[in-house]
Amino acid sequence: MDAASQIRTPSSLPVLEVRELALRFGSRLVQERMSFAVAPRTIFAIVGVSGCGKSTLLRSLIGLMVPASGQVLYGGADYWAAGSAQRKHLRTGCGMLFQSAALWSSMTVEQNIDLALRQLTTLGEAQRVTRIAEVLAWVGLEKFGNFRPADLSGGMKKHAALARAIAGAPPLLLLDEPSAGLDPISSCNLDALILDIRSRTGAAVIFVSHELPSLFALADDGIFLDADSKRPIAHGSPRDMLAHSQEPTVHAFMRRQALPASAPAPVRATAPAIAPAPDQTRAHPGP
Amino acid sequence: MAVQVSETVTGVLAAAQARLSAWLGGPEEAITFLGRIPLSAVALCTRRARFPWPDFLRVTLQCSAQALLIVIAVNLLVGAILAFVGAVQLNKFGAGIYVADLVGISMVREMAAVMTAVVMAGRSGAAFAAELATMQSNEEVDALEVLGMDTAAWLVVPRILALTVILPLLYVFACAAGLLGGLLVATGMMNLSESAYLDRSALILITPHFAIGATKSVCFGFLIGLTGCWYGLTASRTAAGVGEATTRAVVASIVWVIVLDAVFALCAHALGV
Ligand SMILES: Nc1ncnc2c1ncn2[C@@H]1O[C@H](COP(=O)(O)OP(=O)(O)OP(=O)(O)O)[C@@H](O)[C@H]1O
Ligand SMILES: [Mg+2]
Repeated sequence: MDAASQIRTPSSLPVLEVRELALRFGSRLVQERMSFAVAPRTIFAIVGVSGCGKSTLLRSLIGLMVPASGQVLYGGADYWAAGSAQRKHLRTGCGMLFQSAALWSSMTVEQNIDLALRQLTTLGEAQRVTRIAEVLAWVGLEKFGNFRPADLSGGMKKHAALARAIAGAPPLLLLDEPSAGLDPISSCNLDALILDIRSRTGAAVIFVSHELPSLFALADDGIFLDADSKRPIAHGSPRDMLAHSQEPTVHAFMRRQALPASAPAPVRATAPAIAPAPDQTRAHPGP
Repeated sequence: MAVQVSETVTGVLAAAQARLSAWLGGPEEAITFLGRIPLSAVALCTRRARFPWPDFLRVTLQCSAQALLIVIAVNLLVGAILAFVGAVQLNKFGAGIYVADLVGISMVREMAAVMTAVVMAGRSGAAFAAELATMQSNEEVDALEVLGMDTAAWLVVPRILALTVILPLLYVFACAAGLLGGLLVATGMMNLSESAYLDRSALILITPHFAIGATKSVCFGFLIGLTGCWYGLTASRTAAGVGEATTRAVVASIVWVIVLDAVFALCAHALGV
């Protein structure tokens, strides 16, 4: 932990800090110059249009993709400069919900959670069974413990994968589009669940979402990644982004509008017809 | 002077390293993959890595009991075909009884191991590649890595182990089926006595032929498992990627089995066995 980051967060050490991160697939740039810090107990949103590199950013935070440059610091320890044993240790402090849920298809939901628990904790058999029942009840899947992932619906898979991610009580949760494909009621329940998890476990949460109501309801802080300039164009909570950002993309995104001037013709021609009124987001204010 | 020499040496070394890594560009990944397998095997033996017993048992069942019938059927026919072709030729010289030697040696030394390997490449090699490629595209492999699991120990070692152990057993059944196929043709078509045929066949089993065939089948099992897992884990993350991985795994396994068989033939010739 060096002086610079202490100055930036005088009250407490950030759970995660990213400095000047750049991500590339071969010679193709995905995003660059990303810098942000996630304070303890914060819900941090990664926002941006489809394909701007949100999932890729999460993958590089969790050690699945080597960044082209920059640093990822967990509690001050540089992940990509660490040795393999320390990397493994840092990684197990994160619970990850993948965009595709990524449940192990050859095992039942209970066995999925059990494997995560055996790997991350030293709990005995009986304690694991209790914990599995607890997290399944938390996400509302008590009755589906012995189902295989293939027999669950898309939304249930997401919930089961969330149960697996929170089972080991990680200090940092990374959720890739947790509410994508959920009905409005389940989506709303999920928002409540994420707040509940934060208050019970004290974990910090980084989440990717396109759902404006969720973003406004949950996020304390965030970053907006731009697909065109390939760098972040706004920081802060969604409300702050809307209030302070000059970027048309941010405003269009947060108000669910088509981009006014530079958007390609077909989008401009069709989108306003189906887009709701500009102040529709006001109808779903956060708590 | 000394500075110049050291600068030249450093320059040459750097250039050599660049050339080497450029040349290794593709194979680098393969070498890492190959290197991880013994490391993971050691980790499993010393109980530092988890072994997936349910998965191992499922895979073992898939490539043993469920494959037995087709292996027997294929080798029975191959034995019969060899006897048929051999009988026609050998009868011209009045050496019909030697059809037992022909069938016995070619089955035990070559065909049983190769045919079983080809069948298993199409069954298990393809299944491994498809299963792992699907897991890869569903991010299941990533989910294992995030947990800090040794993915080679969890996914690759059990599959290779299952095939390496099972293929020699299937080979024994294949030999028996091939000899039976030969016996049926020899007694049915050429009126050889069963006891004469079996006497000559038995002589073959105490020769090095059987040892050579069994050794080959162990190597083929390892090779098919390795190839299937490699193409599965390196598949691109799309539905088309799964299909492509499966095809490539089967084709590569069969080609490598034949190449390895040729290497065995050369070595056996050089050693005079
Ligand atoms: N394996 C890969 N190889 C090359 N390019 C890739 C690969 N994976 C993703 N990309 C590219 O990286 C960019 C970012 O992809 P990513 O999946 O991170 O987007 P995203 O922001 O999560 O989108 P979405 O909201 O649709 O999930 C995309 O333009 C994609 O084409
Ligand atoms: Mg994504």
